[in-house]
Amino acid sequence: MNKLGFLAVSTLTLLAAACSNQGPTDAASTPAAASTSPAPAASNKTIGLALSTQNNPFFVALKNGAQKEAAADGYTLTVVDAQDDPAKQISSVEDLIQKKVSVILLNPTDSSALAGAVKEANDAHIPVITLDRSVDGAQVVAHIASDNVVGGSEAAKFLIKALNNKGNVIELQGVPGTSAARDRGQGFDDEIKTSGLKIIAQQPANFDRAQGLSVTENLLQAHPDVQAIFAQNDEMALGAVRALDGAKRANVLVVGFDGTPDGIQAVKDGKIAAIVAQQPDMIGQLGVKNAKSVIDGEKVEAKIAVPLKLVTKDNAQ
Amino acid sequence: MHGIQKAFGPVKVLEGVDFELRPGEVHALMGENGAGKSTLMKVLTGVHKADAGDIKVDGQTVSIHSTTDAEKHGIAIIHQELNLIPHLSVTENLFLGRELSTLGVLHRRAMRKRAREWLAQVGMQSIDPDMPVARLSVGQQQMVEIAKALGQNARVLIMDEPTAALSERETDTLFALIRELRQKGTGIVYVSHRMEEIFVLCDRISVLRDGHFVGTRPIPGLSLDEVVQMMVGRSLEARFPTRDVTPGKVLLKVEHLGDKQVHDISFELRAGEVLGVAGLMGAGRTELARLLFGLDKASEGRVLLDDEPIHTRTPVQAIKAGLGFVTEDRKAQGLVLDLSLRENISLPRVPAHAGVIDRATEKRQTKGLIEQLKIRTRDMELPARALSGGNQQKVVLAKWLALKPRVLILDEPTRGVDVGGKAEIYQIINQLVASGVAILMISSELPEVLAMSDRILVMHEGRASALLDAATATQETVMLAATGGH
Amino acid sequence: MTSRFSFGNGAALLQRLGSVIGLLLLIIALSVLSPDFLNAGNLLTVLRQVSINALIAFGMTFVILAGGIDLSVGAILAFTGAITAGVMAAGHGMALAIGVGLGLGLLLGVINGVLVSWGRVAPFIATLGTMTLLRGLTLSYTQGQPIGVSNSSFALLGDGYIAHLIPNPVVWMFLVFVICAFLLRGTVFGRHVFALGGNEEAARLSGVRINAMKLGVYGLSGLLSAFAGIVLTSRLYSAQATAGSGYELDAIAAVVLGGTSLAGGRGWLFGTLVGALLIGFLNNGLNLLGVSSFYQQVVKGAVILIAVLLDRRK
Repeated sequence: MNKLGFLAVSTLTLLAAACSNQGPTDAASTPAAASTSPAPAASNKTIGLALSTQNNPFFVALKNGAQKEAAADGYTLTVVDAQDDPAKQISSVEDLIQKKVSVILLNPTDSSALAGAVKEANDAHIPVITLDRSVDGAQVVAHIASDNVVGGSEAAKFLIKALNNKGNVIELQGVPGTSAARDRGQGFDDEIKTSGLKIIAQQPANFDRAQGLSVTENLLQAHPDVQAIFAQNDEMALGAVRALDGAKRANVLVVGFDGTPDGIQAVKDGKIAAIVAQQPDMIGQLGVKNAKSVIDGEKVEAKIAVPLKLVTKDNAQ
Repeated sequence: MHGIQKAFGPVKVLEGVDFELRPGEVHALMGENGAGKSTLMKVLTGVHKADAGDIKVDGQTVSIHSTTDAEKHGIAIIHQELNLIPHLSVTENLFLGRELSTLGVLHRRAMRKRAREWLAQVGMQSIDPDMPVARLSVGQQQMVEIAKALGQNARVLIMDEPTAALSERETDTLFALIRELRQKGTGIVYVSHRMEEIFVLCDRISVLRDGHFVGTRPIPGLSLDEVVQMMVGRSLEARFPTRDVTPGKVLLKVEHLGDKQVHDISFELRAGEVLGVAGLMGAGRTELARLLFGLDKASEGRVLLDDEPIHTRTPVQAIKAGLGFVTEDRKAQGLVLDLSLRENISLPRVPAHAGVIDRATEKRQTKGLIEQLKIRTRDMELPARALSGGNQQKVVLAKWLALKPRVLILDEPTRGVDVGGKAEIYQIINQLVASGVAILMISSELPEVLAMSDRILVMHEGRASALLDAATATQETVMLAATGGH
Repeated sequence: MTSRFSFGNGAALLQRLGSVIGLLLLIIALSVLSPDFLNAGNLLTVLRQVSINALIAFGMTFVILAGGIDLSVGAILAFTGAITAGVMAAGHGMALAIGVGLGLGLLLGVINGVLVSWGRVAPFIATLGTMTLLRGLTLSYTQGQPIGVSNSSFALLGDGYIAHLIPNPVVWMFLVFVICAFLLRGTVFGRHVFALGGNEEAARLSGVRINAMKLGVYGLSGLLSAFAGIVLTSRLYSAQATAGSGYELDAIAAVVLGGTSLAGGRGWLFGTLVGALLIGFLNNGLNLLGVSSFYQQVVKGAVILIAVLLDRRK
């Protein structure tokens, strides 16, 4: 068997497979786009979305919101994913620039590392809108996000009230260095400091459910006298719930952040006391909406705050 | 086998070879390396498929497409390179691929019992079947291979250089075994370069030369010269070339050298002298060489070169002191098989300025050595893997000659090398000696030790049991000392 | 007999060129499939994208050729990047920061070398250990926060251009490639790398300083990882605490795709460059075609498997 022939055939087959696979995924999420005539790649109706990761339901919800909005008006949305690696995200933004999309919606992996990529886009006359996280030292036409600092203090206020301003709290932190982890932590910590509650342990569980579970297990061993757990996202909160179940500590209050479907379900089931819910689909939707405005030459606001809401058993849907 | 043809690409390796084996005969298959012996045997055992010709077993034409087919027809081969897995036990190796089991559950006890029986057949009843193969000597491993083939009830047994790694005693055991098998009607194909063995053991001989079938003759009535002539197409004047060199002053002096395996070894080695080292497997010959070359650390004694003590704690220091070491196992220790001839030959000292290789000098030097040693190759850029055994051995020699060593240690320098190649290696040894190099030659072939050495150091169980003058020594006196008798 | 080997040689050459031809076929396929693919801008973009991986993979090639493996490259990249940024954040100059970063990378690589040579630890385990250790040190040094870099001349290292056209990282990549290729083919060091990976025992018996060689190859790998870390830090204007995770696998993939044997002793540096480009073009092309990132991973995994399977057919 000829190695070269083999390699050539397999490469082409794989490419073909990958291309045909792209069809159904897009069709599933953008049925309208599939029925209208497909736009050429470099048309002015193409929007690029650079996600930090799809390994988290939050960003998947954001993507779905964006795709729904894009499909409604027959826009093509090209999604690239950085798997939480800033260097990879720079590459994928560059790829979007090469593809000549009209607007780039950037959901940065990190606030400090993407300035160069945004500048490249601007040099290529492609406006950038940041979603969820901002990019330091870069020029963007708009930034759309929930106010994480406010959200953090909302969570603290809920616990202060629920525990009658008395008790010990464990805080599960997100990926160190991300703005979400910083801002949520800051809002929460500042509010707790002025109250009768006490944070007896803080440890990163990297926004991850499995790590949320193991970190909580360890912390419960070390600090049995705890009344509440604040997790900086729902995934870690769900991990903490599992750890509490295992330790038969159903009386500990858990507060999450984000409002993912799993998280909301846990609120309904009484496992999680409250969630500071973001509305990721709304972030995605507003992202595309504003991108359309930019394409149409309309002015958009530089800072768009997406409302947060506190979800408890009473208002969970 | 009749009219067997086989070509690899454009090159015909076998051209119309006929080979016939009767039950109860030991049939020698001879030919220089590259003559096509291995290929013929690979066709017989289903590793290669013949392009033309047919194979008959008991008069029936059979097709052998795989080693499994060969096994089915009772054909087994014992390879020159051992095919055992070092960390598995003797039993596990014997039953590898044909484990006794029910629904995947091993019958350990039954296998161990049968392993004992098979080992007894080859005179190895003292071996614990649970011992890892790695702890056996090379000779013992060979016997395990033979036991494995016998366990398959082979009717045709192919042995490729079976005695290359065996001691005299083990060889005797093997020969007795072969005769016993012959009695039972097993046909044995015996591939070897050792003429003595062929004449002692075999009934008929078939010779291949450059892929052509030269002929089959009965051994009785055949002379050694006739066989050599059949193989090389010309007569070799003498198997061991004579040399006329008087050893000079003492170059290397070893005093009470020892470690865990070797004890209290003392000898002197003169410039222009060959000191043969004889002994049985495991007598500590290779271990002595490793000590001298700094591969193992000596715990006692000292080594002097030109009456100055030298410290050879690493090969780097030994090489610097002027020592060279041609190892016993050229594939595992002598060559980097994927590197080219040129790169192998220059490895101990790459011609370079400030670390940058001087390729012109390297090529010139390599070319000179290839010519000097008559290494048969078209291209010095070929990987060492591509050469025949004799040529590979010459490459290992060339590697050390490039360094112009003062003392050269040769461990089994002609193992697995064909007759013509051996003679050439002896010539090289003689040239080196003539130029004043001192040679320490370890060999298991007694005729070689006797013919090539000036003196012979005989080792037994890690100690020097005798230091004989080669002119007066005989196979008997050497063997006596090697077995610990006096 | 001899002409038989010449036949084998030709086939070997053809096999060697397999990755190169695979790359060309990929480029042709992508040019046909995507109108945005084949232009100078995009090609330079891809070159810049692969530069970090290529720099690491060049060092990895030496380690793998010598019969080892280095899992700590990504962690060394993150740690040295953080230290380099930290030195500048403390108010020191760029030259000192780079010097400290490179020196540290070399030192960490040499420590790997000491572990596998004198320590006799299996390379996989030794570098897995240093990888984990360095990841922890990086997180504790940075406290999980990115360390920003404001030095504008430092930023040019990874973000600038030569002649307003060629990105600087691409220049570094080719420069390091030329130096390493010479090191591998033109020097005694390189020759001994092949000998060590091909047959360690034979190399030792030939007087090759085995332990020193191991220090050398792991040291080189550490040095190049540190250099990649500095370029990446410059490109990101900041050192990321979790930078370079998974880069060791990308580097190994590039080396293997390029036709270097994981068993050591056989391979070439140009192949590694080609392997890195193959991965880069695949990433870029699949993004341009709008293939979902989930399927991108499937495709990349499959390509690596096919390449390795073909390698096994030798």
